[in-house]
Amino acid sequence: MSGRVNLVLTIALVLCALSVVNAQYQARRLFIELERAQAAAKQLEIDWAQLQLDQSTLAKHARIEANARRDLNMVPTTPERTQYLTMGAS
Amino acid sequence: MRSASRTAAGKGVQFSESPVLAVKLPVWRSRVVLFALFAGFATLAGRALWLQGLSTEFLQKQGASRYARTLELPATRGKITDRNGQVLASSLPVKAVWAIPEDVLEAPAEKIRELAKLLEMNEQDLRKKLDSDRTFVYLKRQVELDVVDKITKLNVPGIGTRREYKRYYPDGDVMAHVVGFTNVEDVGQEGMELAFQKSLAGTNGSRRVIKDRLGRIVEDIESVRLPHDGKDLALSIDRKIQYIAFSALKEAVDKHKAKAAAITVLDVKTGEVLALVNLPTYNPNDRTRLTGAQLRNRVMTDTFEPGSTMKPFTVALALENRLVTPNTPIQTAPGRITIGRATIGDAHPHGLLSVAQVLEKSSNVGTTKLALQLEPQQMWDMFTTVGFGQQPKLGFPGAVAGRVRPYKSWRPIEQATMSYGHGISTSLIQVAHSYMVFARDGDMIPLTLQKAGDRPISQRVLSEKTARAVRQMLEAAAGPEGTAPKAQVPGYRVAGKTGTSHKLVNGQYANKYVSSFVGFAPVSDPRIIVAVMVDEPSNGFHYGGQVAAPVFSAVTANALRALNVSPDSTVTDIIVPQNAVEESM
Repeated sequence: MSGRVNLVLTIALVLCALSVVNAQYQARRLFIELERAQAAAKQLEIDWAQLQLDQSTLAKHARIEANARRDLNMVPTTPERTQYLTMGAS
Repeated sequence: MRSASRTAAGKGVQFSESPVLAVKLPVWRSRVVLFALFAGFATLAGRALWLQGLSTEFLQKQGASRYARTLELPATRGKITDRNGQVLASSLPVKAVWAIPEDVLEAPAEKIRELAKLLEMNEQDLRKKLDSDRTFVYLKRQVELDVVDKITKLNVPGIGTRREYKRYYPDGDVMAHVVGFTNVEDVGQEGMELAFQKSLAGTNGSRRVIKDRLGRIVEDIESVRLPHDGKDLALSIDRKIQYIAFSALKEAVDKHKAKAAAITVLDVKTGEVLALVNLPTYNPNDRTRLTGAQLRNRVMTDTFEPGSTMKPFTVALALENRLVTPNTPIQTAPGRITIGRATIGDAHPHGLLSVAQVLEKSSNVGTTKLALQLEPQQMWDMFTTVGFGQQPKLGFPGAVAGRVRPYKSWRPIEQATMSYGHGISTSLIQVAHSYMVFARDGDMIPLTLQKAGDRPISQRVLSEKTARAVRQMLEAAAGPEGTAPKAQVPGYRVAGKTGTSHKLVNGQYANKYVSSFVGFAPVSDPRIIVAVMVDEPSNGFHYGGQVAAPVFSAVTANALRALNVSPDSTVTDIIVPQNAVEESM
């Protein structure tokens, strides 16, 4: 009788041990995945900052003005060449 | 006995009959063995107790240090943006390259040559750096990541990298004095970087992890302390207006061969500083040749005698106390007035002027006559309430209070000179701020360099009637009959006052000038205040109306257009009289 109980308990013990191993493995695997995702997030954040900086550099007024004047032959507007529209006025 | 032993040798004997047992040994021998065994066990038990109980902490620490690592989680410094969210300063990760000199010097010569090339250094300089007794030297700080990759690929022994941040300033010299800069450790040194160091910096976090043999992180062992990134800072500065102000001022400095110049643009409605430019300036991205003159933020930290730009306050005070009306005649002939032993004079004698014309023509004699009807305390109160002699509450490092001496020590001549802006010193931002009283119908709001959220609390200084009357006079002063017809702007009505003063050199007035102009527009509903100061113009012109007023005009025209303010004047072609009235100094 007692021999049978022992057998059942032994099997249960082995199963538990194996599931612990499995759980630990899964945990590590997921952890690595999380780690990788976090690193990617960090990298994207840096890229975002870099792009914002690039945008700011490219949108520099000095650069825009130089391009407009030199390449596009543009000149600043003056009030006499501006048509003002007034809301509600007939 | 002999036969028994023979039998035992033949087919084995019982243990009890073993002849060895028959040998009589001394009792002490077994005692010794027993004792030795006990001693052995006792030693083991003691050792176990020692390891498990007494030195367990030390041992666990030693163990942990072989697999656990504390990782620093660096916080990123907050960005600085303009009022529209465009980046003015941002930190990006870079690397510092360090070396263990002994190891590096063992590398082949060509590798060192290549390393020097990548670091943009002279090979000799690099070798000099490596030729030291120290075990650790930084070769170069803030190296960009793609260069670092190449260096790592070179595989020179003894070379390592450390992660750090570099601050980038896309607007460079245009924004230099507002934004300031940080040092290699990413700590603010100047400007807003310094003023808001605490909130921009953020705090580093850390985590303890277990690493495997290959250096991969296996798991966290303690809860992670997350890094708190620095807060982003939105300035009140408008990038577009800042550029407009910068280019107009630069043009004026070149044209008049000035030593320095400064300009600031304020928002009348919110008290925000829209632009703040100083010349000469510097590039915050490359600070290898930086001089004190370039660093100086003249708008905030330099004081000068404002000169005639102070006159409106004297006139306003006289109007407020009902001593005069704008039409009261004042005799300014013969263009001189003597107080005690000193004589105050006008550049040109004007004869009989109304109070409005005194301001329009900028007559020292007329202003003096008004001032002498006022109590010193009244004038002092007025100057103080509009901010002269008071530290501006901007939170900007180095902002000065200027100087207005206590009224009890004023002599009549000093009261007279102060009425037209001499004998007191102010910074440009103070002068600009003080004109808010005229631009805002007699009340004032505090200035801010941060993008304003809520409505500021205003403080009444003058009655609405007085403020409007002075505003009208200031419009005339910036008109064709005034001292600054060049301040006019096509499409908008403008008001403002010129100022020209001699510079004090060693306590004596020298033949050097500070030309200034402070004004606001559009007059029907003022939106911006623009204050210009040009230091030592030396190309023949030095009057505020000739040097500073054109800058005001250019900046106001473009800034109002940038702000989408609808024009309040139909005049589009400005006629500037050939010989405008020159103001008095």
